[in-house]
Amino acid sequence: MTCEEFQRVLPELEGGHNFEQEQHLKTCSRCSELISDLSAISQQARLIGATTEEPSPRVWNSIEITLRQEGLIHEPSPVAGRARVTSWRLSWLVPALAALLVVFGVVLHRPGKQPSRSAMSSPPVVKAVEEPGPELATLADEEQLLGMVAARAPALRADYESDLRAVDEYIRDAERSARSNPNDELAQQYLMNAYEQRAMVYEMAMDRTLP
Amino acid sequence: MSAAGTGNLTDASRKHSKLTEAEAIDRAKQGDADAFETLYNLHKRRVYSLCLRMTANTAAAEDLTQEAFLQLFRKIATFRGESAFSTWLHRMAVNVVLMQLRKKGLALVPLDETVESEEESPRKEPGADDMRLAGSLDRIQLNHAIGELPPGYRTIFLLHDVEGYEHNEIADMVGCSIGNSKSQLHKARMKLRELLKTSRAEKATKP
Repeated sequence: MTCEEFQRVLPELEGGHNFEQEQHLKTCSRCSELISDLSAISQQARLIGATTEEPSPRVWNSIEITLRQEGLIHEPSPVAGRARVTSWRLSWLVPALAALLVVFGVVLHRPGKQPSRSAMSSPPVVKAVEEPGPELATLADEEQLLGMVAARAPALRADYESDLRAVDEYIRDAERSARSNPNDELAQQYLMNAYEQRAMVYEMAMDRTLP
Repeated sequence: MSAAGTGNLTDASRKHSKLTEAEAIDRAKQGDADAFETLYNLHKRRVYSLCLRMTANTAAAEDLTQEAFLQLFRKIATFRGESAFSTWLHRMAVNVVLMQLRKKGLALVPLDETVESEEESPRKEPGADDMRLAGSLDRIQLNHAIGELPPGYRTIFLLHDVEGYEHNEIADMVGCSIGNSKSQLHKARMKLRELLKTSRAEKATKP
């Protein structure tokens, strides 16, 4: 069997080769390497399926608005109908914090732009890219947030702590990747997604702690 | 890159929603807003990821995600539970994306396997290449390369290798033959191999 004959039937081969094909693979390093590469691509693709991105909050907002307009939402939800008394300290903090995290991420990780020292040190809740671990200020903010969660819903503290640790790790991975590939737009996008996820954890936690 | 940030958040959302999926489906049929949101949070990542990979565009992916969920919620009263809810939703999302690609006039799959454009046909394999992919390929590189595939190849590759559909299902969804689906998948993989090796060679020669 020649390489051309073997590669002609490749599209039909899924996980199995006949004797003649096996013999060809044993003697032909080129076709053997081809099979190995195609298999690696297929296997890695399965892992891609396991990792997931997340849409921005505006997607749900748009869906909810449309559902209400079309009358598919009949009953007001208990959460939405409940009057919320928010403290002045908390009501502005969530959107401001989310905006700071996202904007700082954009400023810091624009391709080719080097963050200045003042940009890195001024927003206390966002980690500097160059430092390997979370800043003390970030940890302090997280502890404060977890304290608020624990005060209102003690049973949820462990979950939120776990979420924050996971998203911090995600940010570290994304920062590492962005540092290694400063011109890679996908790496930058992953980093933005990571910051947005942390903002969302904060938002969810604040939402649950508000009376 | 770790996916830890995404997986644990899904678990947390599930716990905090107070509704199981079955309960959410029943309540959504009655128009409960919380129930709709629960179902959305349970499945948004998978749907969005599918849309993002098939369009390689975040804005388009968000629009398609929104459309897929709206179609689902409009039809939720008809869901009888014969198949898994996630399967039903996933299939709907795939159809929404395919319809969008058809509207844009993007050739999903060439109907005639014997006709190949210069751009679509993968470069013929050169002599022995010493850059094996196995053992050194990561998800970021592969994601990047998938984004560079022609739309038709990308659709088939994503549906089969990433989303796990069988060729007969793909043929049904896309409107091609099973043989065509297999052929396009093979060409997609070959094209990816070429893109990955080219990218690797370029990085190796950079100072």
